[in-house]
Amino acid sequence: MSAQSVGSSPRRGGGYGRVTGHQEYLADIKLPDMLHVKLVTLDVARARINSIDVSEAESLPGVAFVMTAADLPDPMPRFGPQFQDRPVIADGETKYHGEPVAAVAAETKDAAEEGARRVKVDYEKLEGGIFNVTDALAPDAVLVQDPSLRGDSPFAQTNVIDEKRFGWGDIEAQESDLVVEDNFQFPMVTHFAIEPHGFMAAPTGDGIEIWSTIQHPYLLQKIMAKMLQLPLSKVRVHAPDPGGGFGGKQIPKFEPLVAFMALRAGRPVRLVLTLDETFQQVRRSSAEIRIRAGFTSEGALTFMDVETNFLVGAYVDIADRVVSKSSYAAAGPYRIPAVKIIGRTIVSHTTPSTAFRGFGIPQIGWARESLIDEAALQLGMDRLEIRLLNLARYKEAFIPMEEADGDWEQTVRTAAKRIGWGDPLPPNRGRGIAVGLKSGPTTGLSYSTVRLLYDGSAMVYAGTSDMGQGARTIFAQIASDELGVPVEQISVVMGDTAVVPYDQQTSASRSSVLMGTAVQRACFDIQGKVRAMAAELYGVDEAAIKIDSGNLLLPDRDVAIVDAMQQALAPLGGEVIGNGEMRKQKDPNHPLGGTAAFFEFNCTASEVEVDMETGHVTLVKHVTVGDVGRSLNPQQVTAQDDGAAIQGLGHTLMEHYIFDDEGRIRNIGAIDYRILTSMDLPLEMHSESIENADGPGPYGIKGVSEGSLLVTAPAVAAAVREATGVLIRDLPLTPQRVWEALQEAKDGS
Amino acid sequence: MNPFQYARPATVAEAVALLEEHGPDARLLAGGTDLVIELRNHWVEPKLVIDLKHIPELAPAITQRKGFLSISAGTVMTDIAEDERVQHHLPALVEAAVVVGSVQIRARATMAGNICNGSPAADTAPPLLVYDAVVVVAGPAGTRRVAVNDFIVGPGKTDLQRGELVTAIELPIPDRPYGAAYTRLTRRRGTDLASITLCAGVDAAGAARIAFGSVGPRAFLVEDESGLLGDPGIRIEDKVEPLDKMFELASPSLKSLRASPDYRLAMLRVLGARALETALGRLTKELVG
Repeated sequence: MSAQSVGSSPRRGGGYGRVTGHQEYLADIKLPDMLHVKLVTLDVARARINSIDVSEAESLPGVAFVMTAADLPDPMPRFGPQFQDRPVIADGETKYHGEPVAAVAAETKDAAEEGARRVKVDYEKLEGGIFNVTDALAPDAVLVQDPSLRGDSPFAQTNVIDEKRFGWGDIEAQESDLVVEDNFQFPMVTHFAIEPHGFMAAPTGDGIEIWSTIQHPYLLQKIMAKMLQLPLSKVRVHAPDPGGGFGGKQIPKFEPLVAFMALRAGRPVRLVLTLDETFQQVRRSSAEIRIRAGFTSEGALTFMDVETNFLVGAYVDIADRVVSKSSYAAAGPYRIPAVKIIGRTIVSHTTPSTAFRGFGIPQIGWARESLIDEAALQLGMDRLEIRLLNLARYKEAFIPMEEADGDWEQTVRTAAKRIGWGDPLPPNRGRGIAVGLKSGPTTGLSYSTVRLLYDGSAMVYAGTSDMGQGARTIFAQIASDELGVPVEQISVVMGDTAVVPYDQQTSASRSSVLMGTAVQRACFDIQGKVRAMAAELYGVDEAAIKIDSGNLLLPDRDVAIVDAMQQALAPLGGEVIGNGEMRKQKDPNHPLGGTAAFFEFNCTASEVEVDMETGHVTLVKHVTVGDVGRSLNPQQVTAQDDGAAIQGLGHTLMEHYIFDDEGRIRNIGAIDYRILTSMDLPLEMHSESIENADGPGPYGIKGVSEGSLLVTAPAVAAAVREATGVLIRDLPLTPQRVWEALQEAKDGS
Repeated sequence: MNPFQYARPATVAEAVALLEEHGPDARLLAGGTDLVIELRNHWVEPKLVIDLKHIPELAPAITQRKGFLSISAGTVMTDIAEDERVQHHLPALVEAAVVVGSVQIRARATMAGNICNGSPAADTAPPLLVYDAVVVVAGPAGTRRVAVNDFIVGPGKTDLQRGELVTAIELPIPDRPYGAAYTRLTRRRGTDLASITLCAGVDAAGAARIAFGSVGPRAFLVEDESGLLGDPGIRIEDKVEPLDKMFELASPSLKSLRASPDYRLAMLRVLGARALETALGRLTKELVG
């Protein structure tokens, strides 16, 4: 079909509300008779809670009650997407700095805050807190998690949750002319969504309503129904469009707590975190990566051996999946005869890590691409050529059961051309280039309902969360083209489990591909129904009617779908309803439970200038090129890539948690945890798309929005290395760290 | 934040009376860019907040008097940075004013507040020191004038006594060709708190001075005794020793999150040399122009 809306960039659905302040975020929703909640936390990471005295707090005017573990069912209800390890509230012991031990419900926010200050917690700091990989793996290490929670895991008596092993071939049997090995570190960073997490709950008599900034409302519904022993039909989740998610809002956090508090109060309650509090609740997993690779003298990879220790935090959340999925693709998009991969999920007394844009790939990509540069240096090869030489070609299997689903060479060559690879460099300048690859969703289930209304407008129901990525616009564009309805006359309904059919989740850059297909199929359903109506109306054989660009092609003329629908439904009016489903089944034989629906493949190239006296890195030019299949909405695709690149530059140049010896995060909040501002952006930035319409989604699209941060760090660090001659193995590349490396090099020479 | 009484005096005398009565239980509100954060975080819990914004004598104004510019206590950073007289006579002060906080902060934050807050990292402190600013203080005993170098005492501490408040800051217009430049060390280019604030000033007679902050309890003003730093004929590479001497007072915190002591000390030299070069360049331009 010839698309009209697809491939263009209509006005963003919900964009006007976002930029004018009209959008109703969770914190803007006021429920009648609502109580406000403030969490009580301790200024320590690991502590034993001896007792909690709530009497003074509860005697304050305005304070309704204080909730502690003692007020919750015994044993403490626990939950999580993979392991049921997270308690509703700290149970006898805090396991990370910021884990709530009590929650105060009050008539006003101020009263709740004052109450929280008056809760007296008698606790003792426990020694042996685990704050890094070395301590976690020590033979006499304190166990972060109670072994009784670990079931029959062979690792139950350790801090290792699981060890993932992937690979093929025999790495020891390979002959190599050069073997390089190194260790790299990736810091803890936080999502820093502009909208902090928020949670509300209200009892409904025979059930409960929950409001959350959650990315996965249906997962939340399932977890709450199970915990409260309610049928799914009695748990209604409202998920207003989040103000940024980046993975940090996928998994339920304090929804169970507010639900128990609402049930106790018999009133709605609400908890909205501060930005500072989000630092203590969500982060990306840090990682220590040991990597070794062999090459022929021509530069061909002979083997790769990657071992990554992910320090995931106190509760596993979705981190074990982060470890398995990223480890699986650790060797990258290269053709390698033998690969050995180990990835460990290691718990610690730190903020639980969760999904974060890139899902583990930025950590491993940082090490792998840096190592490939080292090999190129030692082989006297160009860093672009060594990548092109080893890159898997179109349709070539590069991991058993997975083949290259795009012309990746085209992507790399486009990026190299854009950055001016090989052009002469002024002094103190350098360039770097890196390639990254992330598996898309391995399973999926999305339903959509589309209603073509009598006046020719339409409503699309989709359980995706639009947290800024623009899903509303994408779905409207698809429906617009399939039904011949202008985008402006389409409403997209999301964020209410009582109204919108099931969607598995909004993650892994899946929604345009999976929910997009469901929306398209719902439109096909409508097309089929209108075709049948038209056949009867015009006395034509149904099979003789073709459909194109929102029109029915009759043997003698074309009729718009909308016109045929109106004629057929007159005089009563009404509507035509279509349903669509997209299912990607689990594959029990696949190590990840399924092949990737698509790969996000990205090449990032960067040019920097380094101030050799201060260590400041100026981003002169930054280029990302992604294989997107097809750019369904070019403006949004570019914006997603720009945003991902900027977020990646954050962990590359300035973002990291700083801890004290006792596991407390010292740089909580926006003052001493720095993210890029507009002043820190590259002087020139380009995000480009390769479009060969070879993706699995509607019109040949693939998922986008993570690609541009997969290998930001190695590309920029390689540029810094070319400019300065120093190799840095820790992120971020702060001015001080670059300066220290320069000093070391000076002292060493 | 905790509840507090709020007063909106109409005159400096009323404000002084309130301050005298309530002493440390009262806090002054001008731009509020420091105070509101302190209130919200319960770092301060005053019984009384005295809003100075409705006192005509303190209303935003930059007035040229004989030989100096008087900047009223209510004048915000944006006004200072945009004032043509300040730009012409005191470029280093403009360079400091335009990096305080963010655009929004600069539209609210006053320079008097920047100094009274007593942060060792206050951006305007080094240029005020180099330009020999005078702080005008009103109090129960009347008005007095204090050199800014005596006004700044330590972290959160100034020379203000019970019942006193700042009404204006007076900046002498240099009576001879003068070059000055401000620079700072930050972790990023956008809004940031400085790890080093530094201002250098030179005149045609070769007198050089450097004021620097964020590396000790307060911003320090140091005069060059070697006579070398202000000499445009000597290459900067040959000024290392006297430059190092300027920073002997620096005692950067070991506990800071923002930069290590070693890095700060090394950067003092780098920034000092750069500011000096810029200041000498400006002096030459003035002499030629």
